[in-house]
Amino acid sequence: MKFLTTDPSAEPSGVLYQRCTIDLRTGRQQMEELPCRNLEDVLGGFGRSFQDLAERKIETAYCDENPLIVNTGLLTGSSAMTGMRTYFSGYSPIKGSKVGLPAAMWSTGSGKFGAKFKWTGLDELIFENRSEQPVYVVIKETETGPSVELKPAGHLIGLSTHDKIMALQKDYPDAHFAAIGQAGENWQNNYMGAIALSTENQLKEQEDKCRFAGRGGMGSLMGYKNILALVAQSNDKLKPLTEAVKKVNVNVVKGGGSARIQPISRGGGGGTWAAYDVLQEFHAVPVNNFRPQGNALPEKLFRENVEKEYDIKSQACYRCGITCHNNVSEKNADGSKGEFLAKFDYEPLNLLSTNVGVHDAGQAARLIQLGDNYGMDAISLGVTISYALSYNERHPQATILNGATFGDYEKIRELIIQAGEGALPEIGQGSMRLSQSLNETSYAYHVKGLEIAAYQPETNPGYAWAIAGGHMSMGTYGLLTREGKSDLDSWVKGITEDKLHIVGFDMIGLCKFFDIAKGIGTQMVVDCLKSEFGLDVSIDNLRFAVRRAFLRGLALELRQGYTKAEFCLPAEVFENPNQNIKLPNITSPEFIEKLEKRVWEIFEPELEGLLNA
Amino acid sequence: MKITVKLVGAFCVGRFKKNVQEYPSGIKVVEVIDHLQLPENVLGIILINGRHAGEQDILEDGDTLSLLPLLDGG
Repeated sequence: MKFLTTDPSAEPSGVLYQRCTIDLRTGRQQMEELPCRNLEDVLGGFGRSFQDLAERKIETAYCDENPLIVNTGLLTGSSAMTGMRTYFSGYSPIKGSKVGLPAAMWSTGSGKFGAKFKWTGLDELIFENRSEQPVYVVIKETETGPSVELKPAGHLIGLSTHDKIMALQKDYPDAHFAAIGQAGENWQNNYMGAIALSTENQLKEQEDKCRFAGRGGMGSLMGYKNILALVAQSNDKLKPLTEAVKKVNVNVVKGGGSARIQPISRGGGGGTWAAYDVLQEFHAVPVNNFRPQGNALPEKLFRENVEKEYDIKSQACYRCGITCHNNVSEKNADGSKGEFLAKFDYEPLNLLSTNVGVHDAGQAARLIQLGDNYGMDAISLGVTISYALSYNERHPQATILNGATFGDYEKIRELIIQAGEGALPEIGQGSMRLSQSLNETSYAYHVKGLEIAAYQPETNPGYAWAIAGGHMSMGTYGLLTREGKSDLDSWVKGITEDKLHIVGFDMIGLCKFFDIAKGIGTQMVVDCLKSEFGLDVSIDNLRFAVRRAFLRGLALELRQGYTKAEFCLPAEVFENPNQNIKLPNITSPEFIEKLEKRVWEIFEPELEGLLNA
Repeated sequence: MKITVKLVGAFCVGRFKKNVQEYPSGIKVVEVIDHLQLPENVLGIILINGRHAGEQDILEDGDTLSLLPLLDGG
């Protein structure tokens, strides 16, 4: 990016970003330096891409007019800790309104690809149309600026995410990679394709320790375009650490923001996996398709129980001091580390274990690994499978698919393999479509067509207003459980003021663990922008930009045909309230009706004109 | 007075899961936290008899105090 101003809020056009648009049909490309339209453009990520998506009327995700936008955030590749995010945006194959229009979507992940991409000199890459032949794309730093090249990818067809990255590493040893798996290649029957991003640990250790941009099927969109992988080749360009950024980074590591994520050995909470212990205290760990039973079953996957049999090692992304990865490996007879299995994060772990009735850590790890290798979003995959298992439990005489039921590891494994290979559209196309085809929609745990995260909907009515995935784009998942808020005012304020700010991290290039509770409207971010780029941006202006970007997402949903009635939780929550959850009931029809009314009264007037701005 | 203290997740490491502790009457939650040397930046949820509570709340004989780490993200 180029900065001709120090005040990007007042003079956004004084910030220029480098964009390459490539027509996959013709190979023609256009490299241009563009002025930013507003602070959202400057910050980047979905703040910019959604403005571009809003300019297009897309009626089906798999069409030539639907672009795949790859970009970074302002602090991607900077010295600020966690600044490694890459964003993938487009109209989603899986998330869509009931009238059949696709929703605009973004997905993001860490790993080192984002920084390498940024260091090529490119800020954004837009793919138009689709390639007739499978290709991979090399984004390279040259003496005259960034270059983008399409290369034949026949040798990558059919490989897993990890194997594609390993194959490319042989030819590009100094690069980092973004790759789809077989699921994305089979985009016709699999709408939940994820994009794997390579990590330093993966490339050094040759183990499948990718990070994933999973949500919304951006990997399937990439597969539709016939792009199997991206290669970012550049020299590392980290500036010397200034005192200001050093102070921020120390605060990220030692401050309250990331403390719970740090390893237990360092006095932390032990990563997101620790949510198991906390939620179990309320019997709010999803079990058997989001029906907690009020028993001790989830405790089998508590860390203290898993580490008796498996080796658990904490690792981190490139230059990150948070060390949030809990890598689970087999334990050899002598106690040493054996084969690497999977990384235990709360969401994939729960949704591919306890919530499908699997309570064995080794089996859980294998299912997570399988989904990762095929390149599928663990949340959509797990929740769609748990729906199918629930259907079979309710219809023992007329089961679907392979007749799998909760806890049947081998049959669940079979479903993942078939879905990943594109042989099972019932699973691959997500829970909304499957439940509609079976005419039993009440226990399909999606909101607006996108499967919910591993927080019980009874604890989070805010899911309804999330614009790109339950807990990633609306931070209300802890409002009841953690903060104990069960009154209407707190929930209205949470949804319409405080908790929407979580999406700021999906603009600026930082991971949410930078400061998940406060968002990006903080002095820490202000200090980083000043130190890294000489920019003067106020906390208020950061917050205004994040709010506008969020509301633009909401406006886009409405434009794509969503009715207000679709901003709702799965019907089972109301029709068959779960008495086992030990928390106040905040999802009674009366509470929800009042909440909806007040939230829309606040949001609606602000949506006017946002898509034309 | 007797307080049943439940520790969850990482807080159990090197301490205990559930224990009946003897404390002077009128003790506040924050004093129990200090006594147990729990890291404040990881402390997320305080429950007294299963209900959300705060650090300054005063405990009563027979109460069950649950101390949970932060819950955030995934």
